[in-house]
Formats: sequence, structure tokens, C-alpha cells
Amino acid sequence: MPGLFLFYLTAAVTIAGAMGVVSHPNTLYCVLSLIAAFIGLAGLYLSLSAEFIAIVQVVIYAGAIMVLFLFVVMLLDLRREEWIPLRLPIQKFTGALIGVGLFAVILKVIFSGSVLTGAKGEFPAERVSEIGNTQVLGKILLTDYLLPFQAMGVLLFVGIIGAVVLARRRAD
Amino acid sequence: MIVSALLFAIGVVGVVVRRNAIVVVMSIEIMLNAGNLAFVTFGRFLDSMDGQLIVFFVMGVAAAEAAIGLAILILIYRNRESTDVDNLNLLKL
Repeated sequence: MPGLFLFYLTAAVTIAGAMGVVSHPNTLYCVLSLIAAFIGLAGLYLSLSAEFIAIVQVVIYAGAIMVLFLFVVMLLDLRREEWIPLRLPIQKFTGALIGVGLFAVILKVIFSGSVLTGAKGEFPAERVSEIGNTQVLGKILLTDYLLPFQAMGVLLFVGIIGAVVLARRRAD
Repeated sequence: MIVSALLFAIGVVGVVVRRNAIVVVMSIEIMLNAGNLAFVTFGRFLDSMDGQLIVFFVMGVAAAEAAIGLAILILIYRNRESTDVDNLNLLKL
């Protein structure tokens, strides 16, 4: 079962990367382990036969967004700040407690059997792989989802302008 | 699904525990990706492509959000010489 092996391997990489982000004191290593987590997520998408999303995950998330994060980390020189003691010593314990509790609640919902009961769609995996994942996605994107697609373009444009306006130095 | 739930929980812990604003933003990205994974899984098991399309839109929104968030972070750092979220207490009485 190579598919199952791929799933467990990439799931382990993803979870380990995410844990690294939350637990490592150095921000730079946090960014690097987040990249590992995103590449693991791309593998998970592959094992769910979502090839286009997997490629986009690697290119956009692990490529573009994480380069942005790396730039900011290197611009800001954050080496010295983690040595201040926590203002609330109970904070770490409370955080872990919240995380475990939330995980338990979500697990309860998953195993209650009420998820995955909706009507079946018209694209089973065999048919999609026959036509080609990207082709199906593109067709739906430019027909049923045309308006959100255009709105996303506007949103990204506004995002670019906003980032430039915010980060530019005041001319005074 | 379980991986997605675990990923979301880790993201929430990151937001609560860490005080470095950049790590908080990265934890938010982890939570977004946990949601994406859940969408793709649902789409796979319900034989629908809508999950993958929504993931596509979420990625676009996340890119815009990361750009704006990091610009705000740079601005904060320039003004306060720190990205520690505990120092951002100007609204405190």
C-alpha cells in the first residue's frame, strides 16, 4: 500500500512541522519548519488525489508566502526578544489545555457520524482523473465560480496596494 | 480529518502561547491550512470538486492577508522596536 504509506509519512511531516512552529524559540527555525509542514500538506493533497491544489500549495504557500515571512524575519532582527520571562507563567499550561480540549471536541464531532453524510457530487475521483484534475478545476472555476474568481483578483489587487501604502516610509 | 483537527488545535495553541507576533501570524496560517485540508478531504469523500475550489479561494485570501499582516508588523516594529504582542497595550486603561 504505497498510498497509505505516503499518507502517514506526509501526515507525520506536517504535524511535526506545525509542532516545530509553535515550540521553537528561534523565529527563523519556525519559518523553516512551517515550510516543511506546507510541503507535507502538499503530499497530503496528493494522497487525496487533488494534484492541482498540491502544486499550488508548493508554489504559493511554500514558495511565495514563506519567502515573504523569511524576508520580514530577516528585516526585523528578532534574535533578542525571547529571553524576557513570560508575564503569565500559567500561560503555557493554559494554552496546552485549550489545545487538547479543542482537539477532543473536534474528534468527538468527527466520530459522532454526522459528518460526510451529504449528497454525493458529480465528480468521483475516477472520473476526475480520467478528464484531468486541472481541466475539471479550470472549467468549474471559469463557469460556476466566475464571480468569486474575479472578486479574488480585486482582493489581491487591494492587498498589494494596502501593503505598499502601509510599509512605505513616511516622506517627512 | 484527524490530521486536520490536530493541525487546527496546534494553530490555536500557537496563537495563545507565543508572544512573538510573527509566530502568531504563522499559527493563523496553520489554522487556515487545517481548514483547507478539511475542505479537500470532504470534497474527496463526497465526490465533489467544490472543496478544492474553495481551497483555491482560501489560498488567495491567505496571500492577501499575509501581505497586509506583515506590512502591519513592519509598521509596528518601526514604531515600537518590538514584535512582542504583550507590548501592544496602548488600548489598555
